[in-house]
Amino acid sequence: MVTPVKEDTELVTINIDGKDYQVPKGGNLVDMAKWVAGNDIPVFCYHPKMDPVGMCRMCLIELGGVARDRATGDIQYNDDGTPQIRWFPKLQTACTQTVNDGMYIKTNTEQVKEGRESVIEFLLTSHPLDCPICDKGGECPLQNLTMAHGNGVSRMYFDDKMHLNKHYPLGDLIYLDRERCIQCARCIRFQDEIVGDDVLAFHERGRRLQIITNSDPGFDTYFSGNTTDICPVGALTTGDFRFGARPWELTEVPSISPWDAAGENISLSTRLDRDFGGKAMIKRVMPRQNEYVNEIWISDKTRFGHHFTRSDNRLSKIQIRKGSNFSESTWDSTFKAVAKTLKEANGSVAAIAGGSATNEDLYELAQLVTGLGGDKLGAWSPTHTGADLVAQVGLPEGSNLGELGAGDAILVIASDLEEEVPMWRLRLKTAQDRGAYLVVANGRNTRLEELATEDPNIKGRVVDGAAIRYEAGSAAAVMANLKKSNKDIAKKLADANHLVIVAGAEGLTLEGHRALVQSAANFLIDSGHAGKVNSGLLVPLPGANGMGLHYMGFSPETTQDIAANPPKVLIVLNAEILDDDPTAKTWLSQVDTVITLGYFMDAIARESKFVLPVQTFAERDGSFTNGERRVQRFYTAQGPMGDAIPAWKAVGNIAQAADLGRAKLSAAAVMVAIAKNVAAFEGITYKVLARTERQFPDVGGDDKYYGGNAYQNTGGIGKQIALSGTAKSEKVTVPDALKAGKGEIVLLPTTRLYDRSHMFIPTVMVRSRVSLPFVHLNPKDAKALKLADGDYAEVNYDGGSVRVRAVVSDDVSVGAAVFPRKLTEKATPLVPTVGTITKVTEPAQIEG
Amino acid sequence: MADSKHIVLRHLDIGKPIIKLKDYEKRAGGYDGFKKAVKMEKSAVIDEVKASGLRGRGGAGFPAGVKWSFIPQNEPIKYVTVNADESETGTFKDRLIMEQNPHQLIEGALTCAYAIGAKAVYIYLRGEFWDVAHMLDERIEEARKAGYIGENILGSGFSCEVYTHLGAGAYICGEESALLNSLEGKLGQPRVRPPFPAQKGGGLYGEATVVNNVETLANVPWIMVNGADEYKKIGTEQSAGTKLYCVSGNIQKPGVYELPFDTTFRELLETVCGGPPEGRSFKALLPSGGSGPIVPLTDEVLDTRMSYEDCAAIDTIIGSASLIVMDDSVNIAWVASKVIKFFAHESCGKCTPCREGTYWLDKVLDRIMAGQATAKDIERIDDVAKNMAGITLCALGDFAANPIIHTIKHFKEDFLAMAEGKELAQAGD
Ligand SMILES: Cc1cc2nc3c(=O)[nH]c(=O)nc-3n(C[C@H](O)[C@H](O)[C@H](O)COP(=O)(O)O)c2cc1C
Ligand code: SF4
Ligand code: FES
Repeated sequence: MVTPVKEDTELVTINIDGKDYQVPKGGNLVDMAKWVAGNDIPVFCYHPKMDPVGMCRMCLIELGGVARDRATGDIQYNDDGTPQIRWFPKLQTACTQTVNDGMYIKTNTEQVKEGRESVIEFLLTSHPLDCPICDKGGECPLQNLTMAHGNGVSRMYFDDKMHLNKHYPLGDLIYLDRERCIQCARCIRFQDEIVGDDVLAFHERGRRLQIITNSDPGFDTYFSGNTTDICPVGALTTGDFRFGARPWELTEVPSISPWDAAGENISLSTRLDRDFGGKAMIKRVMPRQNEYVNEIWISDKTRFGHHFTRSDNRLSKIQIRKGSNFSESTWDSTFKAVAKTLKEANGSVAAIAGGSATNEDLYELAQLVTGLGGDKLGAWSPTHTGADLVAQVGLPEGSNLGELGAGDAILVIASDLEEEVPMWRLRLKTAQDRGAYLVVANGRNTRLEELATEDPNIKGRVVDGAAIRYEAGSAAAVMANLKKSNKDIAKKLADANHLVIVAGAEGLTLEGHRALVQSAANFLIDSGHAGKVNSGLLVPLPGANGMGLHYMGFSPETTQDIAANPPKVLIVLNAEILDDDPTAKTWLSQVDTVITLGYFMDAIARESKFVLPVQTFAERDGSFTNGERRVQRFYTAQGPMGDAIPAWKAVGNIAQAADLGRAKLSAAAVMVAIAKNVAAFEGITYKVLARTERQFPDVGGDDKYYGGNAYQNTGGIGKQIALSGTAKSEKVTVPDALKAGKGEIVLLPTTRLYDRSHMFIPTVMVRSRVSLPFVHLNPKDAKALKLADGDYAEVNYDGGSVRVRAVVSDDVSVGAAVFPRKLTEKATPLVPTVGTITKVTEPAQIEG
Repeated sequence: MADSKHIVLRHLDIGKPIIKLKDYEKRAGGYDGFKKAVKMEKSAVIDEVKASGLRGRGGAGFPAGVKWSFIPQNEPIKYVTVNADESETGTFKDRLIMEQNPHQLIEGALTCAYAIGAKAVYIYLRGEFWDVAHMLDERIEEARKAGYIGENILGSGFSCEVYTHLGAGAYICGEESALLNSLEGKLGQPRVRPPFPAQKGGGLYGEATVVNNVETLANVPWIMVNGADEYKKIGTEQSAGTKLYCVSGNIQKPGVYELPFDTTFRELLETVCGGPPEGRSFKALLPSGGSGPIVPLTDEVLDTRMSYEDCAAIDTIIGSASLIVMDDSVNIAWVASKVIKFFAHESCGKCTPCREGTYWLDKVLDRIMAGQATAKDIERIDDVAKNMAGITLCALGDFAANPIIHTIKHFKEDFLAMAEGKELAQAGD
């Protein structure tokens, strides 16, 4: 359980309103009063995840302490034998107090009542009181605390109110109402303390004090939406939800982010909506507390990226190819037709599935393929590997990145976590703030590298960190030789109490990534960290269910095998093979029949014989296994889109039509089968996944003022799968790095959080933040290619070419060009490859 | 020297400003105190200042030696910060010291740095004092050349640098923790205390720091030369030494006067300053600028000694001793409105009661000044001010409540007359 009271916590006695309580020493008074005594001290500026600032003055209490003789230190007693209490003459702020033995507080006296009433009155003097049209109305801390502590009448002349800007866009996503703002600085402090992107600030002073953004573009961060949750008034609203619905109309459905390996717990706020044919529709995405996973935060991609689920481009009908055209069909006849095709393949059947397929989908798909006599289950995309090692030397059951701190160490190698798994980047950054040693190794600069090595003279953030910049593509060699080539860093990592290694695949071929992950595993095993709680290996596998792919038998190496030996029939589930990989068309042309189950009519769907519409995470229930091997359940939230059904159901019915046994009737039933047949999932049921526990801090109750509007976890905190197997430290052969010939250059694909993928592009309001396509070169390489920063360039590679902008700086190492994936609608290299870059002058047009 | 009239404004004994180091050394025993100090144990210097009873001249009157003794001796990094923000209404004494006898401040600051083991002194001046800062820089350079600043000062092994820093023009940056934020390049807003500046974690860049007013430190050289006992002989029991009193308002001879703490208001205002303008009589006094409680200038008040303890007895404070005098031509509601305008303009906005309260009070006072208010509005601002007092993050909130609460307490009839339009707002506002 996530609690401030651990076995070894020293307890002290404090007295609240005449009753004694045992609380952990050093805790914050507001937190402890709430956790131990259930006493909700009202707060606006205090937030349990941030340092107290004592600004709003709402948390006033009477404070005292046991009187002691100044000379001897002995407790002084009253005549009746009770200790004498010395009270402060003035009210004190509770949020700035650390509990200590003999602390006495009163929260229910007349003086306290008057103090709180005064603060509420002051806060409301210039407040616009536009609750009837305010998004926060109904779940507003200021509204609620006014009801509880305000005196009901205004003594301020209406005409005297201060007027300020009411619709100020801080960026593309967040709007600020400066009249509603109560200057609590929670938004500024969140960006500064928790995220490290201090893009908000106060401007002016006195009653004119107001929030500004100091970044260009405005509010430039991947976490901006969280400020709207913790803003205690309706001053910050999202462009997504603004004026969209009233909170009391919403039904909250627990869910899981479909985007990445973090598995952020979310709550989908839905409403039966005329904009969606009267069906339940997601109006907003909110964080749901899971202190093991995302605490109470989510990334902006998770918050704003739900639009693809209702996109006009969603595949809503079954499409069956007749010649060069498609025609619609019904499920029953399709199940039969697909089953027939599969059976005729005589066992030459394989499947490739992507990371947004659920555990249930994957299990049923594996059953189908093996039932038909096939044995090839490929994981998409074949960029990352090592899930098998994560299953063995990952973070053991009971681990929590939130517990890393002083004495611990973290190595992030070959990954740009900001872009790949933003929640991990946030949690590792805060771990460093708590004292952990953070090393970032890459062939180029990343945001996490900047944070890990931040100059204390800039913001006063004193952190222990280091950066290793290696030659492009040499991550595996760097990891394998860390003890020799980076002796001091390696020693510090090895000697840490806990060690987490995040091994990404940036700049690496699949073989190179395997060598890196094995070397990382070796390091953990050799240093004795493997198997220790809060130590272990993480791989930023693409998609929400990269680990699920592994447990259900899908591997990227098999994908390579499938490409090398194409089967007669290939089943593709949630894998945009042709959009992602320009080389795939070569081997796909040798496949007789492709059966695709997906969300969109993407390039592979257009090449398929059968195209089956399946439901997204929003419209169905299911489960994902996140990068920390936590199996997490999500629930049906949104109304269906056309004829789409869950993939497990489509696959199960195909199997039934192929005489491979009865189709299961529910996702829960599939999980029962998984638990029986997949060893790692033993004992896991939907009921187990729905279990919750009390979490510290106590966020999301009625007192929204305490932690903000993140939701309490009612849907389950999931279950972390135990480690299995006995990985040994193995000798690693590092494959040779790619070599470019004369006039060529190595292209290193990287991941961008905001891209032009089918799933993300329907989120219109973030489009302006999707980078135009570019290649990033070191000045030395650029010179050889006669390219200058800002030039237009044509990049040619196996399977295509595209025009992009050239970026030239020494933020990237010599010897390769960084070439982000999915910034154009054309397929660009998925894995490192050799290509050419030439300058173009006419026409100066790039393909976005 | 003990019998010269001035401790701080020593140039007045000489008859001309003591700018050059040469003059300071020759004619005022300059740096003798510091020379003596660096030969003493650090703790002995602190003890001497403690024994002298020297209290902070920035307003709060906290014993300087006690503050110095809070600095943890074994911390490797410590700082001295000189508060030369001098922004209190009616205060203009620190400027005089820095302009007329600058080396005495530098000497006092260096002595403090030696005593606490600080390697750097920052003199934080309000933005408008850019010319003073420029002049101080020259004096600092002079002292460095003479070996009083730099490495291994006077062969004592003690090394120290002195820097000036200009603020951007905010009253709040005179509050010590806001000053430290401003000095660090942050927004000038007060910090939560504890930790206090003198504690690790609370001072400049998180290091233990002494923040003292200019006048406070300018007293130190004299104490080092003449000893604590001599110093204690001057003034009252709880207010040792002399004070620089800034007199302004309806008075014949406004100015800065250095007098012992046992001087009465009458001696200063009538004898030294020549009383109210011709044909007028004293009405009221703000003894500590806009931030302290106002008092009617009754005989009882006039016969009070201008010490910390005596002023407390008449329900006011001596603070930084900026005496703003009002004669019978002044409507006190007008005074309250002027003062509250100042605080509404200068509130940093960090905490609710002060940010909202000063704004609100200012708005209602505007109504009162326009003759568009009622007796109820007067009760209301009295109540609002009382609600604001005591619950703010720093003392500015209390400062802003004072002029309302005490002006209404003593001069309610002025407010009534103004509110009901019986008196026109005075010219010049
Ligand atoms: C709002 C406010 C403004 C202040 N302004 C000044 C100032 O301008 N100059 C000053 O020396 N102290 C000022 N102070 C007092 C300082 O906070 C601090 O007490 C003082 O610098 C300590 O030095 P001392 O002990 O030598 O007086 C101010 C305090 C407050 C609350
Ligand atoms: S915008 Fe909201 S969170 Fe930010 S300071 Fe204002 S009230 Fe606080
Ligand atoms: S001052 Fe304590 S919650 Fe704001």
